[in-house]
Amino acid sequence: MTHSGAGAGEPVIVVRGVSVSFGSKAVLNTINLDVCRGEILVLLGGSGSGKTTLLKQILGLMKPDRGSIYINGVDITCCTSAELIAVRRRLGVAFQSAALFNSLSVEENVAMPLHELTELADSTISLMVWIKLKAVGLTDAARLYPRELSGGMRKRAAIARAIAMDPEILVFDEPSAGLDPIVAAGLDELIVFLKRTLGMTILVVTHALESAFRIADRIAMLDHGHLIAVGTKDEFQASTLPHIRQFLERKSDFRAAEGNFASAYLQEFMHEH
Amino acid sequence: MSTVDRAFGFTSLHRVGVSVIRWAEDIGALTLQLWAAIWKIPRVLPVIGKRRRWTDAVRQMLAIGVSALPMVSIMSLCLGFVVALEGAAELRRFGGLQYVVDLVVIGFTRELAALITGIAVSGRSASAIAAEVGTMLVTEEMDTLRVMGLNPIEFTLAPKFLGALITIPCLAILSTLCGIFSGYFFLAFSIDMNFLVYSREVLESIQLRDVWLTLIKSVVFATIIVQVGYLAGLRASGEPESVGRATTAAVVRSTFLVIVADLAATSFFYLMGWSAAG
Repeated sequence: MTHSGAGAGEPVIVVRGVSVSFGSKAVLNTINLDVCRGEILVLLGGSGSGKTTLLKQILGLMKPDRGSIYINGVDITCCTSAELIAVRRRLGVAFQSAALFNSLSVEENVAMPLHELTELADSTISLMVWIKLKAVGLTDAARLYPRELSGGMRKRAAIARAIAMDPEILVFDEPSAGLDPIVAAGLDELIVFLKRTLGMTILVVTHALESAFRIADRIAMLDHGHLIAVGTKDEFQASTLPHIRQFLERKSDFRAAEGNFASAYLQEFMHEH
Repeated sequence: MSTVDRAFGFTSLHRVGVSVIRWAEDIGALTLQLWAAIWKIPRVLPVIGKRRRWTDAVRQMLAIGVSALPMVSIMSLCLGFVVALEGAAELRRFGGLQYVVDLVVIGFTRELAALITGIAVSGRSASAIAAEVGTMLVTEEMDTLRVMGLNPIEFTLAPKFLGALITIPCLAILSTLCGIFSGYFFLAFSIDMNFLVYSREVLESIQLRDVWLTLIKSVVFATIIVQVGYLAGLRASGEPESVGRATTAAVVRSTFLVIVADLAATSFFYLMGWSAAG
């Protein structure tokens, strides 16, 4: 298991030496990570591990203090805004809260990027919208508004909108958060389906272990701002690193409540690896 | 004891410093935001802009302007009546009851119409804008726009800005008409004044210059309400409670700034000699 183990294709997202701190608190410490073409990489981490912050860096919503992030070879930490827009148009994102536009119906939500960013005719757009909704299984709900949808349907609608522009890279933030296990499993299947049928490169940020093992080609694990391991599922399951075992076996980090013992333990741990 | 005093002295100094820095920050942010919004206005206009933006702007006009119609007109009717009543009580003593007409007309065209519209819309729309923007921030809709490569200012601020710039001056004109009508209402009841006589008096005391003044002021107020409301919404910080705080801040600040701007505009026009009694 290496720190930036290479996957199958050439790397599409390359994170190099990214560090972020809020005030005096370091949130990310020199993260190095590659996401390769055509793979599903799951970024696994507990609450407060810095995974959402890393996601925001990759999407260009925040700039790192140090380090660079290349998407399709463009360094988004220091490119022009025109270049950033060009990069973002090949990137689809489904946020944790689905982030559908409340004043638009599901089909209008999916059509929105097509209307705004392309010059396609309305008839073409409505056909494309239908195809995307078909892919996520939401054709029946096309005319409903976000407030009329269940949690799982909202996520599906957000995914349909994320793939509306046929992006090369798809990013999911906590796809299974707040969903029951059956709906979550359905979403996992959808993610794998998208990778298989559309050949997209997919980055999933989550804390849900089962879902990570169901969908991942490779898993990267973040802990307190450090990327502690990158590898395949089998490597993960066979791992003997104490923190990974703890995460896999769902043991609580109860010592953290008793003062600095846990952080001392962690520092020791960081020295070892 | 001394450490407590020192700590207190330090914290109060600290607090003053922090609030000064925050004000400066807000003024800077407002300026940048206003500038960005002005540049994006052409994208919202019909014909030369994007069709969907214009539809959005019309929706905003309905939300900011049309739905404020009843409130603004009732407030103006009440205030017009109050001004006429209070004025009549004093003017009657000098036997100058006909000056009530001038009082109402000048009061409304020069000052009250724009101010009352500004305060009413500030209460309704600054809070609504802050709540909407804050919610969009919390539910990651703003991030979605940015990640799609779309400009949040063009999408969310520019249509509101244009909508307010068009409807608030219209509301101010409506408010003037309501105020003046209310003055007639009072005089018709108290001294049986004929409507034609009243209209002639009104036309004599109304001045185009004053109407322009009202329009200019209402454009300034529209800018303040939308920009302050939007910025307050952007200051919401992620957790849902912050949206509530942002909403309150929006109303308080925009109402405050509307009144300060009213003072500034009135004194400016006075110093320029544009509002000397004609």
